[in-house]
Amino acid sequence: MSIRLENVIKSFGEPPTQIIKNVSFELGDGEFVALTGRSGSGKSTLLYMISSLDNPTSGKVLLQGQNIAEMPQQELHAFRNTQMGFIFQYHYLLPEFTALENVLMPAIKAGTAQQKRAEATELLKRFDLGQRMHHLPSQLSGGESQRVAIARALIMNPKFIFADEPTGSLDTVNAMNVMQIFQQVNRETGCTIVYVTHDTDFAALAQKQILLVDGEVSAITMKKGAKIKAAPLKKKRLT
Amino acid sequence: MIFIALRQLWARKRQTILTLLGVMLGAAAYIAISGILLGFREYLLDQMVNNDSHVRISAKARLVEETSFEHVFAKKNETLFWLVPPSGRKDSQKIDNVQEWYQRLREDNDVEAFAPQLNVTVLYRKGKVTQNGRVMGIVPAMQTRVAMIEKNVLKGTLRELAENGQKIMLGEGLRENLGLRYGDSITVINSRGDKQQFKVSGSFSSGNRQIDESLAYVSLTTAQSIAGSPGQVSDIAVRLSDVRKSYPKAQQWSNDESAKVQSWEQINASILDVFQVQDMTRYMMSAIILIVAGFGIYNILSIVISQKKREIAILRSIGYESTDILTIFMTQGMLLGFAGGVLGVLLGYVLCWQLSHVTFSSPMTKTKATTMMISFNYLIYIYGFLMALISTTIASFLPALKAGKLSPIDIIRGQE
Repeated sequence: MSIRLENVIKSFGEPPTQIIKNVSFELGDGEFVALTGRSGSGKSTLLYMISSLDNPTSGKVLLQGQNIAEMPQQELHAFRNTQMGFIFQYHYLLPEFTALENVLMPAIKAGTAQQKRAEATELLKRFDLGQRMHHLPSQLSGGESQRVAIARALIMNPKFIFADEPTGSLDTVNAMNVMQIFQQVNRETGCTIVYVTHDTDFAALAQKQILLVDGEVSAITMKKGAKIKAAPLKKKRLT
Repeated sequence: MIFIALRQLWARKRQTILTLLGVMLGAAAYIAISGILLGFREYLLDQMVNNDSHVRISAKARLVEETSFEHVFAKKNETLFWLVPPSGRKDSQKIDNVQEWYQRLREDNDVEAFAPQLNVTVLYRKGKVTQNGRVMGIVPAMQTRVAMIEKNVLKGTLRELAENGQKIMLGEGLRENLGLRYGDSITVINSRGDKQQFKVSGSFSSGNRQIDESLAYVSLTTAQSIAGSPGQVSDIAVRLSDVRKSYPKAQQWSNDESAKVQSWEQINASILDVFQVQDMTRYMMSAIILIVAGFGIYNILSIVISQKKREIAILRSIGYESTDILTIFMTQGMLLGFAGGVLGVLLGYVLCWQLSHVTFSSPMTKTKATTMMISFNYLIYIYGFLMALISTTIASFLPALKAGKLSPIDIIRGQE
């Protein structure tokens, strides 16, 4: 299994309030998954825990069989750098760097910027940014910036891509464009993509939808098949 | 990381230039202030060490006590009881066992040269004008080996004094005050009222107005004749091969009770104390200047970091470690410190060079027009540069450390 959550709980505040309540599920390699739910249902919090940015209050998050909470910091950073790609609602591009340099940021950290340069150029061309790669983020539109952010997430050929409301700040055309890129990347590279969205149309594009209600998995829906009610891992195996 | 740091610095040019200016001016101010103060100090030290002796052996004033007359009024085995014990001070104008001192100094390997002197308090008279002062009797050939006084001579030579013919070399201020020309005659009167005529053979200017308006050089034998005591010597000026041995040598010779022995540091202790105060002031001023420059960097980096939290979060989420973030911001601060330090050193040098070429003369001291004494000691420049670099490194470390500790998830959640 690519991603496995075991009885994950996340609490905030004093006295502690449970935002994520005993969530367990497994995701296979190359799955295209949407985390859906209403605002405040805990979908972003769950995504940050799956993607190692946050630790659960209790329970385990296993990525490729490794418990990320127990991973040494240096190993975790290297794992994030080479195996994960992040896309947020806002692009968060570094304003002092060109589109191409922004794409190469993970490679700069890995010390492979030179080797990755041609690949970054190709990615940008593929996302219809061939003429814009030497522009600064301030010279790009919202949709263009988000596509640069996606290229940045893809440059290291990660096994996982995590996206938090990636279409949230885009108009319909650009949002659809982004979703198509996701589908294409998932199909071509076979990487696991987990994205948070509250838009039912975009959620419907996923192979698997995980619906969160008040911090609990209310339903897991496969695209072609029947709705499967979430249940603890030990009782029922979910795929 | 340096690539990222440089690009971010370049992107905010105005802030970078302003911060750079702050550091540069701080370092330049330190260098200029130090150059002026240390230049002045070097000048004074040169005056103290080279215009006078390293160690001065002089006649000792003794306090009169009950035991002072034991062997005068009583035999060795007799005890003297005073109804009224004697008190007071027995001043002496001469070193008692001067030949023993000469012998001792000749045999001492640390002694480069020595010169006997006799100081006599006198009145100078020219026509109706009278002025008090002192004549210093010297042996020119010996005196010039001890102190670099020849360079102060404006007219005539010291060697002339040793020749026959009652010659006197006056301080320039004294010569002007008495309205004397070279070759004129002057009357010198001792404390007993004995008069002697001298011919003004030359003049000197030591740069010290007090000395120049009261002192005159004559040959030692002439001074002894003015004092009326042949063979008398009041001081022996000693030059050592190593000036740093002055104080320990003076301490060693002080064991001899027959004379007062003082090193140049002891003679000028009050001036050396002023140097310490000067040093404190210099360091305080420099510290304040550099703290201000440091705060500039601290403030700017803190603002930049708070503006860049989202970008820090994204960098952290794509695998940049907290030490990488620390390195990015530390590099920025240190680059500003390094560049500001280098520019400050250059500006400081230019300022010092300019100042060293400004001529001025003081109507109050009546000294000749001269240039400002500026020290170009390389250590000032190294310290200036290091102070700039260290202060900015410290100032950038705190905000950079804070940036490194930022948690990406807290930033994303908006809690930072």
